[in-house]
Amino acid sequence: MENSTQESHHLRSENSVTHESPYPLYAMAVSSSPSRHHNHRIALGSFLEEYTNRVDVVSFDPDSLSIKTHPGLSFDHPYPPTKLMFHPPSSNPSKSDLLASSGDYLRLWEVRENSIESVAVLNNSKTSEFCAPLTSFDWNEIEPKRIGTCSIDTTCTIWDIEKNAVETQLIAHDKEVYDIAWGEARVFASVSADGSVRIFDLRDKEHSTIIYESPQPDTPLLRLAWNKQDLRYMATILMDSNKVVILDIRSPALPVAELERHRASVNAIAWAPHTCRHICSAGDDSQALIWELPTVAGPNGIDPMSMYSAGSEINQLQWCAAQPDWIAISFSNKMQLLKV
Amino acid sequence: MLEISAGVQHQGTIREHLKEQLALAVRNIQWTYAIFWSISAAQPGVLEWGGGYYNGDIKTRRTTQAIELGGGDHTDLHRSEQLRELYESLSGSKSNPQPSRRPSVALSPEDLADTEWYYLVCMSFIFNIGQCLPGQSLATGKLIWLCNAHCADSKVFSRSLLAKSASIQTVVCFQFLDGIIELGTTELVLEDPNLIRHVKTSLLKSSDLKGSEKPDPCAIDNRSKLFDRAIFDTGLISGEAEEGITSLNTGSNGLEPNQQLDDSCIIGELNGVASQLQSWQIQKDEFSYLIHQSGNSRDSISQSFLETGTSISIPNLEKSKDHWTEDLQECNNEELDRVDLRGDGLHYRTILSSILETSNQLRSRSHCECGEPESSFIGWKKGQLKCHRAKGVPQKLLKRILLEVPQLHARSMLDFSGAGCKRDGIWMALKDELSPDRNLSGSRQNEKISEQFCVLNAVVPSVKKIQVDKVSILDDTIEYVKELQRRVEELQSSRISSELLAISGGKPQESTERTSDNCGNLRTGLGKQPVAKKRKAHNYDMTDTDSNYLRDGPIDNLSVSVNDEDVLIEMRCVWREGVILEIIEALSHSSLDSHSVQSSTSDGILSVTIKSKLQRSTTTKTTAASIKQALQGVAQKC
Repeated sequence: MENSTQESHHLRSENSVTHESPYPLYAMAVSSSPSRHHNHRIALGSFLEEYTNRVDVVSFDPDSLSIKTHPGLSFDHPYPPTKLMFHPPSSNPSKSDLLASSGDYLRLWEVRENSIESVAVLNNSKTSEFCAPLTSFDWNEIEPKRIGTCSIDTTCTIWDIEKNAVETQLIAHDKEVYDIAWGEARVFASVSADGSVRIFDLRDKEHSTIIYESPQPDTPLLRLAWNKQDLRYMATILMDSNKVVILDIRSPALPVAELERHRASVNAIAWAPHTCRHICSAGDDSQALIWELPTVAGPNGIDPMSMYSAGSEINQLQWCAAQPDWIAISFSNKMQLLKV
Repeated sequence: MLEISAGVQHQGTIREHLKEQLALAVRNIQWTYAIFWSISAAQPGVLEWGGGYYNGDIKTRRTTQAIELGGGDHTDLHRSEQLRELYESLSGSKSNPQPSRRPSVALSPEDLADTEWYYLVCMSFIFNIGQCLPGQSLATGKLIWLCNAHCADSKVFSRSLLAKSASIQTVVCFQFLDGIIELGTTELVLEDPNLIRHVKTSLLKSSDLKGSEKPDPCAIDNRSKLFDRAIFDTGLISGEAEEGITSLNTGSNGLEPNQQLDDSCIIGELNGVASQLQSWQIQKDEFSYLIHQSGNSRDSISQSFLETGTSISIPNLEKSKDHWTEDLQECNNEELDRVDLRGDGLHYRTILSSILETSNQLRSRSHCECGEPESSFIGWKKGQLKCHRAKGVPQKLLKRILLEVPQLHARSMLDFSGAGCKRDGIWMALKDELSPDRNLSGSRQNEKISEQFCVLNAVVPSVKKIQVDKVSILDDTIEYVKELQRRVEELQSSRISSELLAISGGKPQESTERTSDNCGNLRTGLGKQPVAKKRKAHNYDMTDTDSNYLRDGPIDNLSVSVNDEDVLIEMRCVWREGVILEIIEALSHSSLDSHSVQSSTSDGILSVTIKSKLQRSTTTKTTAASIKQALQGVAQKC
């Protein structure tokens, strides 16, 4: 593959594109619909343990392999945004780019050419000011007016952003809900501090299906990713664990595979948007591993297909459908785009 | 022209007989299979499948009755033909996309034993001259006898993985006619030149047309005698292969067979092979694409397997091209490890196909598209060189985002909600159109709870007024309640003691009344401050006394001051039941009439101030010292 040094496991400046930010980064989103006017946009959320945090939008040019910052495309955010996400690809490309952020509330922003305007702040608490802060959210790709948010008050809220109103709210778990992912237009799954992965169907709100529970009771599950190419499979990561657990929703309780090749705990996972068998994971060992799930697993476990070593612990990973050739990672205050 | 056509025709007829020849030969020596590799008509310099005979175990027989009755010979030949048909149907899917068109008695992949699969897959192989066993045999013109073929290095024997699954242990290649005959068996047979001679003679005998085309049998026999046999064995293979093929070798060798390998030739050939890789890769792209299209069916797996089977040597060769050093062995071992053998042939196939798909998918992209940047990722290697051990808290940032950041929000929210002011820039959602089936009890409860906490925060007087943490609100509340309880207890106990005092009556009747007054004083005497004030007042008064004034030193516990007939006693001692009574008794023993008693207890310490008058009819001289003595006696009784 590479004719250059096989020793260097570090950043390859010729193959990856790096952007250095003035502050540590956590939340990251890659725009799914580039228009003629601008290249692929990437939103970067800062992580500063104070009230004023910032979200910047940069643009990536895959031809020149460069990242451009736009001073106008930036806004303040109270405390670090826990997640950022662009509007999923819609059939109507003339629609301006919408960016959603979660933190204290779910906020919608319109990313224009040179400025970002706040569109909505969605707060579902009627009586008091107190609305439980959100840990994560997911934008339904099939039904883009739906956004599901999850929060520390054990509930998941489904928003209709066209009406700026709550569609429904469910008590999802016994403890704080840490992540949520849409499967179909009306089906979503969530993970929680109570260690379970549950699937909910909006048509039957009374019941949910537990498809996995962490082996040590009450080990929180921190992140969840649903394979959009093959809806049978989901991946989740546990707290303080170097394992990526692959689940098959048809066979609950028993994971299909446990990918255990990281040398430290895993921080982020992302399924490949264009194939059905590949998943990428990144962790505290500063490695991003791409795995291919075989039809049948060998006895020694599954080995990754390829790997990349970054400069420090990788905190975030995004593999966007609009750019299946590029994986975006963030570590300390850098954001890198890696060619797959 | 005529010669050529005759030659071609000649070859054709030879081919027809070839199978029978091979059949006979193999059955004679009771080996598993025989393959004839012939020079490809399409690609000169390349060996391809020219025919074969399978003599090994058969898993599932699929024959029609007629053929069964035909006799043993026919059945065996039939098997080889069936296998060939299967191969062709699997590989020729472009022309024949519907596998269901195959006749019902045709084989399907599940019916094959491992060795049958090996045989079938061999059909897909092609070799350059000088490549692997058949190629080398052709290039050097020598016989090659490979023992422990399943452990062989993939460069020497590219199908070693296959052989491993099929338990093929011995493979022999030698030149025959214009190609190479390969014989293989599942047993480990040590090299035996007689065997080969036997085979050759049987081949020659069975061929009628041999003589006209080839040198006479004698010449062949002579050649066989002259053959320098290259013996390959497990341990030797690696060493040799490295020596022969790699320029950087670490192995030690003075093996004779070694020198017979032509280094440059082989290296050159490998490079040639590598260049061919590109075209093969492109082909495979199409096939992998087809595979994805056709889904996960077994046929497609077999198909992909076959397609990629041709390049089973490719991953290793690629690696060998790039990593000449010890990586080489590592990779090979890796692949051997990865392909874990089980009895199930299908299992092996799927693993192999997936592995090959893997390596091809990603690599093809980087190979075929030259202009684009190459991948940032490198292939996975076990035993990573750089191990970045994370220090400190694992998943630090992730945990902070999930656990701490929401608390930051919650705290700041509670702050503002307690103060009752709206935060800047936040406005409520436009409308709250809630669907009736909204399940809210949990969150409503939470809201209520938070509200009550705010109330509690306001009621409880705590040092830190801005108390937004629920836990600390509770802590302070607990402390406050405890404090209140203690005070209530104190009050009650003091009340009781003063009542006791009143009930006991005592000598000075006036004291009764006074004590009742004192009760009022007691009540006000809650806390240390009033006592302190009183004491101070007394102290202040005391400075105005005249000469008889005798004041004790700065000892707090006891002070007696005498002023003419008035005696003022202030003392502190550990409170116990009835201690005030004792004090007054002591005083009366000292001929003092107490007319005013003020006392308070705090923290179990009794502070009492007694004003008394000296009794006139006193015989003994009462001095302050004696009073003190008496009182100290009382105080020390604990």
